Amino acid sequence: MRASDEELTALVMATKNVAAFGELVRRHQGVVRGMLHRMCRNHALADDLAQDTFIRAFEKVGSFLGTGTFRSWLCSIAYTEFLKSARKRKSTDRAMERFGSGMEDSEAPRDMGNVVDLDRALTTLKEEERVAVVMCYSCGMSHSEAAEATGMPLGTIKSHVNRGRAKLQAYFAEAEVVAS
Amino acid sequence: MTMNDAFDQRLKAAFAEAAEPLNEKAEAEAFAAKLVAQLSHPDRKRVLMLGGAGSIGSAVAGTQLEGVFDQMQIPAEGLVANFAFLMAPETLAALAMALALGMVALILPRRIA
Repeated sequence: MRASDEELTALVMATKNVAAFGELVRRHQGVVRGMLHRMCRNHALADDLAQDTFIRAFEKVGSFLGTGTFRSWLCSIAYTEFLKSARKRKSTDRAMERFGSGMEDSEAPRDMGNVVDLDRALTTLKEEERVAVVMCYSCGMSHSEAAEATGMPLGTIKSHVNRGRAKLQAYFAEAEVVAS
Repeated sequence: MTMNDAFDQRLKAAFAEAAEPLNEKAEAEAFAAKLVAQLSHPDRKRVLMLGGAGSIGSAVAGTQLEGVFDQMQIPAEGLVANFAFLMAPETLAALAMALALGMVALILPRRIA
């Protein structure tokens, strides 16, 4: 029988069992890496941050209170790692300029059609909007979970999601007009 | 909660499609294996720091041991006297250092919880 996240987390908390944590990594790596890929738009950096996220989660697993899901707890750590990484590159603004400059120069677009479209669409959003949209649509977090993870007020998160969503809708509508 | 209209579904599908390659079993296994290996083995910096500190400590202790063992009274006759050459201060000091280094080597691979 497959152990639940809660059971595995309890095992990791009690014994620091690396194998149990490995199973949690297998289950949630897609969400965490997907979220960081969409936020960073640099696959190598995103994977490094995802690795740091899981190592940090292993080290501080005792602080997981179980009030939310393990996945949203991981996403909040991933968001912190993302912010730390942005700060390391001197300032978030400089990082935003890089995000806003289109596809990254160091990496050719992958052959994923819609994925490239999605990434391009996400560059039209402000950082807070992109974070809120990615958390809610990519990670499946609720508005309140996203608010808790980012430390933003619930109303602010809702506004960011709605604004971001409207911008994406406009972007895709325009893209369809151009294509047809 | 996100809205639940057609565009919302499309957006969710686009994000799911983008994350699809990451959810493939081989990809998940490779990522998890790399991470588990990293968690299972202490990092090189820690090994170097502990190894260096242990070696220096052992060396300093070793220089003092010869003087300590020099004070020992070894019997001049009997069974013990036949092995007296083994109990020379230099030998005892070398054994103590080997023991200390062995302990350091034993502790190094263990992760401090």
